[in-house]
Amino acid sequence: MSDIQVTAASDIEIDKDALDASIAEFAERNSDYYIEVFHKIHNRTGWLPNTFNVMAALCGPLWAGARAVWGFFWTFLLLEMIAWVQIGRGLWGDLGADEMAKIERFTARAAEMREKAAAAVAEGADPSRYEAVAGNMERAIAKAQEAADVASAQAMSILVTGLVLLAVFKLVQGLWANVTYEKQYSRWRIDRSVESGFSTRNLVLGAILVAVIAPLTIYRFTVSAPWELITAFPEKQIVGQFISAENESLYTLTAKWFDEQFNALARNYDAFFDSITWGIRTVLDALIVALNGTPWPVVMAVILVSAWRLAGPRVAIFTAAVLTYVALYGYWEESMDTVALVGAAALFCVIVGIPLGIWFGKKPGAYRIAEPILDLMQTLPAFVYLIPIIALLGTGNPPGVFATIFFGMPPVVRLTALGMRGVPEPIKEAATAFGASRWQVLRDVEIPLALPSIMAGVNQTILMCLSMVVIISLIGGQGLGKVILEALQYVAKGQGLLGGLAILFVAMVMDRIVQGAFKRKDQK
Amino acid sequence: MDQPAESAVVRVENVWKIFGDRAKDAMAAIRDRDLTKPEVLEEFGCVVGVADASFEVGRGEIFCIMGLSGSGKSTLVRHVNRLIEPTTGRIEILGNDVSKMSERQLRAVRAKQIGMVFQHMALMPHRSVRDNVAYPLEIRGEPKSRRWAVSEHTLELVDLAGYEDRLPKELSGGMQQRVGIARALASDPEILLMDEPFSALDPLIRLQLQHQFKALVAQLNKTTLFITHDLDEAIHIGHRIAIMKDGRIVQIGTPEEIVTNPADEYVREFVQGISKLKLVKAHSIMEPVESYAKSLDGAPRAPEGADLDHLIDLSVGTDQPIVITDGDIEVGIVTKPVLLRGIQGGKA
Repeated sequence: MSDIQVTAASDIEIDKDALDASIAEFAERNSDYYIEVFHKIHNRTGWLPNTFNVMAALCGPLWAGARAVWGFFWTFLLLEMIAWVQIGRGLWGDLGADEMAKIERFTARAAEMREKAAAAVAEGADPSRYEAVAGNMERAIAKAQEAADVASAQAMSILVTGLVLLAVFKLVQGLWANVTYEKQYSRWRIDRSVESGFSTRNLVLGAILVAVIAPLTIYRFTVSAPWELITAFPEKQIVGQFISAENESLYTLTAKWFDEQFNALARNYDAFFDSITWGIRTVLDALIVALNGTPWPVVMAVILVSAWRLAGPRVAIFTAAVLTYVALYGYWEESMDTVALVGAAALFCVIVGIPLGIWFGKKPGAYRIAEPILDLMQTLPAFVYLIPIIALLGTGNPPGVFATIFFGMPPVVRLTALGMRGVPEPIKEAATAFGASRWQVLRDVEIPLALPSIMAGVNQTILMCLSMVVIISLIGGQGLGKVILEALQYVAKGQGLLGGLAILFVAMVMDRIVQGAFKRKDQK
Repeated sequence: MDQPAESAVVRVENVWKIFGDRAKDAMAAIRDRDLTKPEVLEEFGCVVGVADASFEVGRGEIFCIMGLSGSGKSTLVRHVNRLIEPTTGRIEILGNDVSKMSERQLRAVRAKQIGMVFQHMALMPHRSVRDNVAYPLEIRGEPKSRRWAVSEHTLELVDLAGYEDRLPKELSGGMQQRVGIARALASDPEILLMDEPFSALDPLIRLQLQHQFKALVAQLNKTTLFITHDLDEAIHIGHRIAIMKDGRIVQIGTPEEIVTNPADEYVREFVQGISKLKLVKAHSIMEPVESYAKSLDGAPRAPEGADLDHLIDLSVGTDQPIVITDGDIEVGIVTKPVLLRGIQGGKA
């Protein structure tokens, strides 16, 4: 081992040559300057910048571009542009333009009225009506003139504001340029892929960006009537190049194409969609009979007892209160319909979603493909896919449940897959090492260990279904959603509030009972 | 100590394991061009897990595989129950080729003939200790009465009677690993695979479990493959030790052979810190009787199997060398300088 020399803390010095060489390697051009300022920055104790980069102050974003400090580039390009727009408005901006246009319009109208008044006098009719209008017009002209004068008087102050802003931004750039650049240097030391040095390519890129962004933007905001091509996207002109048909656009053609596809689908797979409807209706009808066909005291008692057994006494008391509310305000039947709709949708979600999730959990490749689809199912606004569902399945409860299934499925799939992937590899390996088949590993290890996650998914799916069940009233779904929809149509505030509360309470009760049931299972 | 080859319970012949999509190509290239591990990684993007490993383990033997992390020891042992398929090579258990077994046969062998213990216990957290131990029997479809009886019996073997109905998380680390051992023993397998079973435990408990395990295996006469990264543990537990480096078995031998005669610099570095007192026997350091000119009258005597510790005891009381005997015949002598060098590890 080599000898170690002990140095007093105050005598410890950095290896200056190595640091200088490293900074020079980073800065490339003009490295002596950056060695000097980086040392100053390294010796700084306060937070105030103690160097000023004249180049950065003068050239602004161009300096940042050449040095590849892109955050700095965008920040100050934006800020400088605000200043330049003010300067432009002050110098050549037609500030009273709106008012002047008004004056012109009013003058023309006043003249017209005067003419009409003269004509009326000539015909012997009463000109006073026209004269009054002309008088009003003239007063408006005077007012507009006044406003226009004020506006053009502002030009000077706007110009000064712009100049001051520009000066401030330049100053800030000069002060902070080296600090920012030094930070980039520190990052570069850790990660050599960070851009470094002075590159002409970056300078050109920065210049092009400035050239594209600055003139157009400044032009747009300083000229009173800018060229129409830059204020609105010329989609008609562009699309018109390709589509010759009259009264057609890309938009209408694509929409028509989709229409045809949906119609063809509905025609050709008629039997398939009918069987979906039939399947959902069967389950739904069974649930509705169970909840609404059974005498209400029986249903209430069953709900209360299961709340008590599954989730404890507190939830049971809350459930009793909710049942009372729902029954007293006459929402009993609608509530039970809603519960049946949610139940049917959630049942299908679980039956399809858990095996799907297990499959995705085991096959990461499949999950990578499915993930964007799941994202789509969850983020696509519910209203949007109500339309194809109407086209394919018609209206009423079963299509509504189908929409709900579609909307509610992602959480249970996702969380099942997540749970499956979270099962520790060694435990699976141990089961395999003792001779378990893949099915046995799934049954004895993977599903039990993924169960908490799967149950969280089921709970979320139920809640998603509940929120969707309200929306499906739009395509003829029954239940509490219909109450809200009616209230919405007639702006019936009280009715809407009572119905909304009923939905909220039903949701809370379902959530509490389901969660309570899972929690108890977890604790065991 | 060497077991005769005819009764080999586990036989591993020229096993290679190469991980990666192009394992077959890499294997061919290794055959043709004798590539090194880094070259294989660079050319084919494949990692060599095990390189040309061969060994045999006899009935009742504890065979330790020792190596640092990444040396391929865990990979190697997983070939025995085919948790990992070899790229090439042959593995036999009780004379049967493992790689030729059907899925069903393989599961039967895993459930009946091989017990495995894992570094991180790998107990099922949702099952009681009893159900964990009985899991191999459950897989075999044994009735509950038998599962319960066997698990109770096996738990007694590892001193855990009375913990049957607890969950694993209620037990300490050492106890959990004993449950792991009980689970491996539950189906009364011929072979035990121990994958660093005591590495995650603290030193005192580890020592205690090593003793317990050694006694238990001797009593039950199980053939054991024991993986460890700790040479002390390997020497303590193993009848024979295989030392692995970069997927290759560098040396196989009894603890004494390894300590007194390391095959290369790598093994020597390992062995340096090991105390030789109980390991090195007189016969491996003694010199010929003729090399000593003076009289040996009244010199202390020791059998050739005596360890250094014993020789030191004898040497302290006399100025004369120790005469080493095989029965009544004088086979060699150990002088003080030789003894001291022997303690150092056989420096000439």
